[in-house]
Amino acid sequence: MKVRTEILASGFGGQGVVRLGQIIGEAAVKEGYRVTMLKSHGTEMRGGYVRSQVVISKEPIDSPIVENPDIFAALSLAAYNSFKHLVTQGIILYDPAFVVEIDDALTCRQRPVPAKDLSVQNFGRPVFANTIMLGAISRHLDVLDRDTVLESILHVIPRFHEENKRAFEIGYSLFNGKG
Amino acid sequence: MKRYLETGNFAITEGAILAGCRFFAGYPITPATEIAEAMSRRLPQVGGIYLQGEDECAALHLCIGASLGGYKAMTATSGPGYILYADPYGWAIGCEIPLVILNSGRVGPVSGITGAPGQGEFYLTRYPTQGGNYETIVLAPNSAQEAMAITVEAFYLAERFRTPVTVLADQLITDGFEDISVPENEDEMKEMGFRIWPRKINRGPNFYPPTDEIDIPPVVLGHNTGALCSDWTPTEEGYDIEEVEAHHKHAHRLIYKIRNHRDLFNHLYEKKFMDDDPDLIVVSYGTPSRVVNTAVAKARQEGLKVGALRLINLWPFPDEHFQKRNKYLVVELNWDGQLVREVQRAAGKDSEVHFTGCCGELPTVNDLIEIFQKILKGQPLARKGWQLEEW
Repeated sequence: MKVRTEILASGFGGQGVVRLGQIIGEAAVKEGYRVTMLKSHGTEMRGGYVRSQVVISKEPIDSPIVENPDIFAALSLAAYNSFKHLVTQGIILYDPAFVVEIDDALTCRQRPVPAKDLSVQNFGRPVFANTIMLGAISRHLDVLDRDTVLESILHVIPRFHEENKRAFEIGYSLFNGKG
Repeated sequence: MKRYLETGNFAITEGAILAGCRFFAGYPITPATEIAEAMSRRLPQVGGIYLQGEDECAALHLCIGASLGGYKAMTATSGPGYILYADPYGWAIGCEIPLVILNSGRVGPVSGITGAPGQGEFYLTRYPTQGGNYETIVLAPNSAQEAMAITVEAFYLAERFRTPVTVLADQLITDGFEDISVPENEDEMKEMGFRIWPRKINRGPNFYPPTDEIDIPPVVLGHNTGALCSDWTPTEEGYDIEEVEAHHKHAHRLIYKIRNHRDLFNHLYEKKFMDDDPDLIVVSYGTPSRVVNTAVAKARQEGLKVGALRLINLWPFPDEHFQKRNKYLVVELNWDGQLVREVQRAAGKDSEVHFTGCCGELPTVNDLIEIFQKILKGQPLARKGWQLEEW
């Protein structure tokens, strides 16, 4: 594997951006990696901006900053516009319910993950969108076994295990191969 | 050893408990609230006491009371709370009361930006109270794992020097998650280099000897012993007095007990790529040093002869690193430049000292390498961030 794998997630408060980073980070710890996960947020409990930056490496991690994400999960238009330029080799996974305008000038891969709508369709409410996004991320994340990620979801989110398993599967199977 | 994905706040709490901390008083503030939260849960499990103060000033006073009662005590806050310690901090210095104080820096001044890292209290930790005539011990970790070790070390130094020790962290350390190993027994603690100094009790009659000696047990009340611990000058026998000669003796003790025993903590620094006399030395502390390390390693691959010096022991300031004439670049999480002033002073006139600052966010590796290149070529540095040129 390459020296470090970088994952960036950003959106509003309340979408589970921090939890998303935490779940990936915990899965990486379980697989024996060194991990850093920075969260930055405004003062609001909900509605403010939130960003998680996860770095996974076999070696001790110096800079915990994601400067060139392998995966960028964009959960708001503001987040998309703020960080899209960081992605060169990686992929942007965006939720079209929030990211309503795509920059076609970008050279990196960009794929929609309609996590919010799929959650409403399948479960009647948007709360499982985060797990659907995690499924999609897991599909594109070479370094972690999908079962370890799922295990972490079930560990970090103590309730609704059946729904979360299904949601994870929905996100994971959005892409054939790696899309 | 148990591994977790956890925050620096968790690591600091566990470090404190491993070091024997059994009393915590605090007041919630981002990004250190989780320490208070974790302490309120963990301390009762190990027979300790958690109290919430009505504000930070009260919290540190509570810690003083607990330390005088024989407890290893700690509080934690961020910049806006740290300034409220001014009064009790001075009392603890004057009466030589061991305490550990955690300051997780966010962006100031005043309430500033809560969820973002800052380094605005470099000088405040040197002068946390009024009056002068004292030295402070300040240690700055750069990761959650190291924050655990430094917290343990802070308790060790606080006991041996009988003084409050500040651990200066920042929001990225305390709020950020990392893989953290927590030792589960004494062997594992030794393996991780943790030093523990037990709380001892001063039985008198020399409570405040007019010397630079350390390892004198602190004043503990009860146990058929004790001394007056007021905000006046203590006499050797533990009374308080307002008298010139007694004051001078005591003030000298407060300064020189620390200055003359710096060997106990001045090994706390990290050097990378410094063996071949680099053309530029990049100086930093706290989380910016992690980006500096990555940038310096990358710059070396590109043929730039740069080295990295990270300070962990901030105060008393380690002048010895700056004796040689050189080019220095100081990287800080503020725009006014604080550490850089001290480096300028210590480095002397022959050296060239440059500064680059960020506010609320770490510098990027690419930005830093660009700055290294400019300095090495003798080009001026552009200001980053807001366009301040016209100000």
